[in-house]
Amino acid sequence: MLEIKDLKAEIEGKKILNGINLVVKPGEVHAIMGPNGAGKSTLSSVLAGRADYVVTGGEVSFNGKDLLDMSPEDRAREGVFLAFQYPVEIPGVSTTNFLKTAINEKRKYLGQEPMEATAFLKFMREKMELMEMDKALTSRSLNEGFSGGEKKRNEVFQMAMLEPKLTIMDETDSGLDIDALRLVSAGVNKLKDGERSFVVITHYQRLLDYIVPDFVHVLYKGRIVKSGDASLAKELEVKGYDWIKTEVEQEANA
Amino acid sequence: MLLETIKKDFIQYKAQAEQGEFLTLREQAFAEFEKLGFPTTKHEEWKYTNLKSITDKTFQSTCEIKSLVNELFNASIESKLTANFLVFVNGSLVHELSKIIEQDNNIVISSIAAARKNNQTIFNQHFGKYAKVEGEAMNALNTALLSDGAFIFVPKGKTVAHPVVIFNISDASDLNVLAQPRNLIVAEESSSVTLVETYYAVGSNASFTNVVTETYAGKNAHVEHYKIQQQGGESYQNNFTQIFQEADTNINHVTLTLDGTMVRNNLHFYMNGENCNSLLYGLYVTDEKDFVDNHTRVDHAKPNCFSDEKYKGILKDQSTAVFNGKIMVHLDAQKTNAYQRNQNILLSDDATVNTKPQLEIFADDVKCTHGATIGELDEEPMFYLRSRGIPENVARKLLLNAFADDIAEKIKIPELVALLEQQIDQKL
Repeated sequence: MLEIKDLKAEIEGKKILNGINLVVKPGEVHAIMGPNGAGKSTLSSVLAGRADYVVTGGEVSFNGKDLLDMSPEDRAREGVFLAFQYPVEIPGVSTTNFLKTAINEKRKYLGQEPMEATAFLKFMREKMELMEMDKALTSRSLNEGFSGGEKKRNEVFQMAMLEPKLTIMDETDSGLDIDALRLVSAGVNKLKDGERSFVVITHYQRLLDYIVPDFVHVLYKGRIVKSGDASLAKELEVKGYDWIKTEVEQEANA
Repeated sequence: MLLETIKKDFIQYKAQAEQGEFLTLREQAFAEFEKLGFPTTKHEEWKYTNLKSITDKTFQSTCEIKSLVNELFNASIESKLTANFLVFVNGSLVHELSKIIEQDNNIVISSIAAARKNNQTIFNQHFGKYAKVEGEAMNALNTALLSDGAFIFVPKGKTVAHPVVIFNISDASDLNVLAQPRNLIVAEESSSVTLVETYYAVGSNASFTNVVTETYAGKNAHVEHYKIQQQGGESYQNNFTQIFQEADTNINHVTLTLDGTMVRNNLHFYMNGENCNSLLYGLYVTDEKDFVDNHTRVDHAKPNCFSDEKYKGILKDQSTAVFNGKIMVHLDAQKTNAYQRNQNILLSDDATVNTKPQLEIFADDVKCTHGATIGELDEEPMFYLRSRGIPENVARKLLLNAFADDIAEKIKIPELVALLEQQIDQKL
């Protein structure tokens, strides 16, 4: 589904990603962990197409298409979804209107008829129930005045509505209390269907108790320096990141 | 030259006018105008607004009314409202299109001309008492040569059941036309009224509208005042509104400028009692070489009053906007709360905004903030929408509509808001 080959990127002349390699197959959950400043958020930004980052090398293919060549909206319409670390508040645009526009733009892109108003509302109601979303949130302006937990749940709700093939979760757990974390994770788990893939970026192992990964990768200095299964995350939780850093330094010196 | 037309008009008017207080008032105003002349860009308050393209032209004050006017009225969004209508073409009342549905006979909704006959006491008590003539050339000119306009009198404790639409059309089909409407609104103690003041233009010649509105809000009165400016063609407008507030009054004033070659708005609030609420909201959407200038002044003369001002602009092409907002907190006006914001989005490299938010505070226990922004659409919301599959042009439209609708929604007539939002959408 997603194939990242030797991806290099920088921002304002500063090199952040120094050759990332990663293959995500349908139905897989990959966790990307790492200390602050390792390049975790840069990776998600580059994959989503944020303009501030310059890709200086490597390639990314998504279902056989060159992802880096697409505009952010085309990536989304091809099935990539980024759950933001800091979802933006957009006063004056209601969640309902926003989602209806997004869904119909995607349908247009895929050559499908727009969804009619009643069908859309029914679809939205179903997803709201599935995600245990408060009805009041959808009539309000997008994320405006939402608590941190509400914003993150709204991200997962949007994911449920847009039905992406690949979801990248950028530190979705940051700033969440345990109840919100449970709700967000439960939402994600409900969307797993053996076909959808997830890349879960996180600093802490905590989230991975709820969203159990198939693979765990450690990102450090812009490269994946270690990969393993879910037990690697547990090891990191106990031992921290320092031993990884030491290992990397030793290899470099050897 | 406009000045010559005006002088001729005044001589003509004087020749047929009745002697009396009203004539004296107008002669004094004319003398003041002659003394001051048209404002020029050397005048601080007119620094950015050059009237030369108006003063270099000749304008006729009267003109035959064409059938286009009926069509325009019937096609307008305002005409869809359940409301009282006073329709003026080139400053004169058109009886056939005007319609009063108010049932309460104590409430007066009429022309200024009728009020001078039928409501002399109230008229004389308030006319010319609020809009200053001294030092204000354009007010002086209007006072000297006013054509007609709306007179609304809401007695103590009464509520006007439906909005009053003051519908102004400039018909420049045959010639350049000059209209000088004059409105007087008197809302007595604990009364309530909603006004929709609206401007259109037809015809291929130039039109110039110089309008003055005086509003008196008695104790605990509530006035909703919506101004909608969409004069097409080559149209110029100078709009002066003075609102005089007694204690405990609520005023919500919304100005939407959606068209016009040159529009200068002067909106003045004077809070003459405690516990007043003054809300001033404005939106201007400009394109081509249009020019919009909003000058506002809020006088907090007494303690414990609240004012909230927010003006927003979206500028396209080579258009220009000016915002100059002054909040004066007088020495006595302790516990004043005053907020002022001006936010502009430039959609073109050739568009210009000149903004000057001003606070003058003479009291020491007040809460005031002001600020202005000029820029492009924020990148973060844009990226967020695009990352959900919404193309850039659609995302931009969504964000611009949201920015503009924030002001349109300050209008409390839902059916009017819905229609206006469609018009704004078309303009963006």
